[in-house]
Amino acid sequence: MFDTQITRMFGVKYPVICGAMMWLCKPKMCAAVSNAGGIGNLTAGNYETADEFRAAIRETRRLTDKPFFVAITLLPSVRITPEHHKMYVKVCAEEKVAGIEFSGTPLDKVAGMEAVEMLKKAGVKMFHKVGALRHALHAEKIGFDGIYAAGIEEGGHPLNDDVTSMVLTPKIAASVKIPVVTVGGIADGRTMAAALALGAEGVMMASRFIATKECEVHDNIKQELIRRQEFDTVIYGKSIGLQGRGLKSKVIEEVLAIEARNGGFEELIPLLSGQKVKQAWETGDVDYAPLMVGQSIGLINDIPTCAELLERMAAQAKEITARTAKLCGN
Amino acid sequence: MKTRITEMVGIKYPIVLSGMSWISVPKMVAAVSNAGGLGILATGPLNAAQTREAIREIRKLTDKPFGANASLMFPGAAENAKVLLQEKVPVINFALGKGDWIVKEAHKYGGKVFATVVNLKHAKRAQDFGTDAVIATGQEAAAHGEDVTSLVLIPHLAENLKIPVIAAGGFADGRGIAAALALGAEGVAMGTRLMTTRESPLHENYKRMTQEKDVYDTLFSKRFDGILCRVMKTDAAKKAVKTGLNWPAAFFNSQAIAKQMGIPYFKLFIGVLLSGYKNARQLAYMANAFKAIRVATEDGDSKTGVLPVGQSQGLIHDVPTIAELFERIMKEAKAAQAKVNAALE
Repeated sequence: MFDTQITRMFGVKYPVICGAMMWLCKPKMCAAVSNAGGIGNLTAGNYETADEFRAAIRETRRLTDKPFFVAITLLPSVRITPEHHKMYVKVCAEEKVAGIEFSGTPLDKVAGMEAVEMLKKAGVKMFHKVGALRHALHAEKIGFDGIYAAGIEEGGHPLNDDVTSMVLTPKIAASVKIPVVTVGGIADGRTMAAALALGAEGVMMASRFIATKECEVHDNIKQELIRRQEFDTVIYGKSIGLQGRGLKSKVIEEVLAIEARNGGFEELIPLLSGQKVKQAWETGDVDYAPLMVGQSIGLINDIPTCAELLERMAAQAKEITARTAKLCGN
Repeated sequence: MKTRITEMVGIKYPIVLSGMSWISVPKMVAAVSNAGGLGILATGPLNAAQTREAIREIRKLTDKPFGANASLMFPGAAENAKVLLQEKVPVINFALGKGDWIVKEAHKYGGKVFATVVNLKHAKRAQDFGTDAVIATGQEAAAHGEDVTSLVLIPHLAENLKIPVIAAGGFADGRGIAAALALGAEGVAMGTRLMTTRESPLHENYKRMTQEKDVYDTLFSKRFDGILCRVMKTDAAKKAVKTGLNWPAAFFNSQAIAKQMGIPYFKLFIGVLLSGYKNARQLAYMANAFKAIRVATEDGDSKTGVLPVGQSQGLIHDVPTIAELFERIMKEAKAAQAKVNAALE
């Protein structure tokens, strides 16, 4: 029913890709999205050794015979080092995963052009998540297969250029030849149809996938995403040069207060620890750690299965398109 | 193209000119309406007599429907709105305040009222007191948006309101219109795109700059005019945002405003003082911003001038006539929509 460069590239039913989510994008969730006709995501940062990571890829393959993405964030962190990045790339090439969502530093800068060549040879499709045209052009130049254009509304770490999806998607889509996938603000058939009109060949969603039956997160979190609205997220971390968008909460208020009085990195680190995020997802305590969700939470009203969600999005997009076709005289 | 907006107002294209001070002047308003859109006069810099004169000038230049705005936070805005009602302006667009009394009076003569909003709460309130449509301003818009972006705000409003939504913020071409329609909007408002047209009175310097600047060349801050405001990123804008509120300058600039509005300065001054510190501070901010915007738009001064623009400036590469622009936009919208059709085959 869908025919875009993304559905053709991966042989999938829907041009909908799950975005990276630390602690949440593990084999079961990844396979659920892929089995539903989208493209699931296995987030590499969840695994510290090559063996663990390889086992997760193989476990996902046991759960689905459909393609899925691996997400690799090329940013130095306390736990994940540049050695990890190289290991992830190598395992992905060996395992010939369908595609990789890279974010952060360009791959060639981190692991050299040999990493790009290795993945190309293995047939792994490479996508880079960017917030600016200049970064998209770089990815295209070194041979990437697609661009994730991430607007400021996305949860996670939007680029500090602060450009919204409505402007960023057409800007990039008009300037690169490789397919563009819209990230940020997508949650339903309307936003998907809008992204396609802006020149995207697919969409990426993360927050929306948290509120699904299959997502392994405490039910409180899912209920909170239904309750909270589009104005309930906030940008923080500008003062330390790595901005993030997360759900407004007590802990984020604390972070913002520290930033307002120019408290430094040291003071912020304990509040931003990844281990605390893991616990928050598990215990359902939204005030315990920053939960990185996007403005699209304002469009989340229920907890469907992944299959129900994607079917509904497709049906809604189709209905809308019939209406807009009439309006535009097509 | 037929939407509830084009039908309600009687226009050919679902495109509305944003009411921009010193840009949405009678000639520009008439040019947009004559080209098949809806021109909206900016009354912010006008006093009541000038507003009346401007309306009459528009009527000389076009027999098509047009509108006028009233930013209710500005001093003198209520008086201007009363003039709009007396002159039976077809569409009144209010912002930054409660326009229930405008709705009541406008409906008596068959006028329509649009409320500019940034969230569902204000939109619902406007709908409840009878407003005919809302203009929903996303974060990417020029001047006063809030945090929520068009991609999320429009569908949220469209599904929760009965009245039609006009999308503002991020729209400069036909792809944007096709996207807005998909999100449930029934029209779009364009400011930055329309200010960069042949007919626009914006100074040539800034018409050149909106073409040169990119999507990321804007500043979004509360420190320009006291509320979140998006402006073109220039040295002058950076300086204004860094300085924040300059009280002595506000004292000086507010005298010019009083003169312009035709009200004795002591009256304005006392009125502002009596309105409380918060409001006085806001008006002081606005007085300075007013000056900076005027010298940018009218004089093309990029040393001290500051121009509100949206992120869509990065999608603008030429200075067409409004008629050319509208024709092209509708062609692009058709093509963008056809692409979605093909994706869904």
